[in-house]
Amino acid sequence: MDTLSHILHGFNVALMPINLWYTFLGCFMGTIIGILPGIGPAAGIGLLIPITFGMDPTSALIMMAGIYYGAMYGGSTTSILINTPGEASSVMTALDGYQMAKNGRAGAALAVSAIGSFIAGTFGIIALTLLAVPLAAIALKFGPAEYFCLMLFALAAVSSLTGKSAAKGIISTLLGLMVATIGIDLQSGQPRYTMGVPELQDGVGFLVVVVGMFAIGEVFSNLEEHIKGKAEIIRLKGRLWLTAEEWRRSILPIIRGGLIGFFKGVLPGAGATIATMLSYTVEKRISKTPEKFGTGMIEGVAGPEAANNAATCGAMVPLLTLGIPGSGATAVLMGAFIMYGIQPGPLLFEKRPDLVWGLVDSMYIGNIMLLILNLPLIGLFVRILYIPTGILLSLILAISAIGVYSINGNTLELQMALMFGVIGYLFRKIDIPLAPMVLALVLGGIMEQSFRQAMTISGADPKVFVGSGICVTLLVLAVVMLVLPVVLPRLRAMKAGPEDLDS
Amino acid sequence: MLIDRIIGVAALLLAAVYLYATAQIPTLEIGDPLGPKAFPRLLGIALIAAAILLFVETLKADKAAEDKAPRGNLHHLWLIGGVTAWTALYFGVFDLAGYLVATTIYLLVLTSVFNRGKRMANILTSVLFALGSYILFVGILGVSLAKGVPPIDAISTGVDSGWKSAVAVAKSMFGR
Repeated sequence: MDTLSHILHGFNVALMPINLWYTFLGCFMGTIIGILPGIGPAAGIGLLIPITFGMDPTSALIMMAGIYYGAMYGGSTTSILINTPGEASSVMTALDGYQMAKNGRAGAALAVSAIGSFIAGTFGIIALTLLAVPLAAIALKFGPAEYFCLMLFALAAVSSLTGKSAAKGIISTLLGLMVATIGIDLQSGQPRYTMGVPELQDGVGFLVVVVGMFAIGEVFSNLEEHIKGKAEIIRLKGRLWLTAEEWRRSILPIIRGGLIGFFKGVLPGAGATIATMLSYTVEKRISKTPEKFGTGMIEGVAGPEAANNAATCGAMVPLLTLGIPGSGATAVLMGAFIMYGIQPGPLLFEKRPDLVWGLVDSMYIGNIMLLILNLPLIGLFVRILYIPTGILLSLILAISAIGVYSINGNTLELQMALMFGVIGYLFRKIDIPLAPMVLALVLGGIMEQSFRQAMTISGADPKVFVGSGICVTLLVLAVVMLVLPVVLPRLRAMKAGPEDLDS
Repeated sequence: MLIDRIIGVAALLLAAVYLYATAQIPTLEIGDPLGPKAFPRLLGIALIAAAILLFVETLKADKAAEDKAPRGNLHHLWLIGGVTAWTALYFGVFDLAGYLVATTIYLLVLTSVFNRGKRMANILTSVLFALGSYILFVGILGVSLAKGVPPIDAISTGVDSGWKSAVAVAKSMFGR
């Protein structure tokens, strides 16, 4: 009963006018970020963190979360109208969505993705509400050794499931963990790898890496695409609604997509991208006319879009209950939590139930707002696509500068962000996924601390990591995650498409 | 694939440098049985293992014998190199020239390269964006952005006080 009152009290928090305003602002900006080609949810959250400086943490996090799921929502518009998915998780939507638009059914494609997103998103939040409490209760029993194993599992899953090569994913993860070791070691007070640079004593700023790799690096990739040629925007015409026939065809894919999406979203590494691919594959397989997929089948839009948004909610489960994000975007969200001095995880449910449930409950409201923003108002947002790409990309670089500089007022950090931008650009070129590195950077500090705590408790006996059933299970799962792609070539073939998880 | 071999070698080199740097960390034996070196040492070793795994993967890929055409070309390399250098210069003079001036010039050049032929729109965008974002972040959100050294800082101060008096006028007009 206690929990129920917390959940209901969360609505009190979420319905406060100021928080309603920030939910709206987050969803609004998220939609814009989702629509803008060349800037994904991770970069969007990173770039907008400075705006929230000085805000109440609950309101700030409500807005950040709004940006996150808003951006996942808005991504479909770009896929459908210009066939340029802004996010890897919208790639599947483009396959049939763009064809529908070419056939003059752009309105129906946008409508089904908005409605599908709304239904699946709401289902996802309900599931999140139900799953959060028991999971947090289990996680409370975790000691440092269990936590270390859990993080190892999460990193293994992300390394092996993002991108085409497990080895490259692991390298990306290790680079992130290494960057996290830069700075003064908290336990011994020793500076590590600072090379005598005083600015590095506090470590490499999280936002420096995020803005560099996701914003600046992404702009570089897009500039290259931009000079190759311009995508044509399909004009939005016709009613933004579905015919009865289209309704009938869409409803089951939405339900299936929502289920697939949520469970894939909860698992680390799998995330929204794989959920959309799985949903598309399922719809194609059970369809009576699989050969028509790719020519504008509404099922191919409804399913993946529902999966995408349910996965977004699913991804909030491990983030909130365990304090372990499973994707690039949720890692950035966790970075935002930490910048506000809030450590997500099971303890948060005991210490700040108002914040946790205020945030979760705000998602119900945000989802309704997004339906309105993405259906009746989509015509306004589509105009964003008419901003010349050359101007847009230039402005993103300048906004990146503001974002990084406003943290510490330090131009060395600007140069470092540029360096990470170049690294991010190169990684995209050579198929090294970025999400594992950012995830590892966020988790690195906590991971080392739990490693050392566990070893201290056991008196430097590494057997502590196989000392409990939970540890052994997680370690076995971690190994399975790493071995799986090698053993199951079919899985490899399936994920041979997009390069990056929902970064 | 050649590029994967290069990545593997680079990872090995990085692991070596990292392990060497780890060995250089001075340790004081107090309380903590592991000290600041143990975890990094594991990371270094793991990176070597990952590089070896990558070599194994490349061998397999070579057997499958497929080679995609290399993406991008030299022209693109120049382009990205140019943007990087220009951005580095922008960041380098950020404190000196101040946000307003540096950003306006930075954007003017970028937009005229990537949005060629629309001179008026580019000038307007560059000036208005720099001005608008400065007012938004400094005037409204209270974030500090570089003002620049004298005499350039006069511009920033001017914009600042201009904004403040505009707000004051607006307040008095609406009677608050």
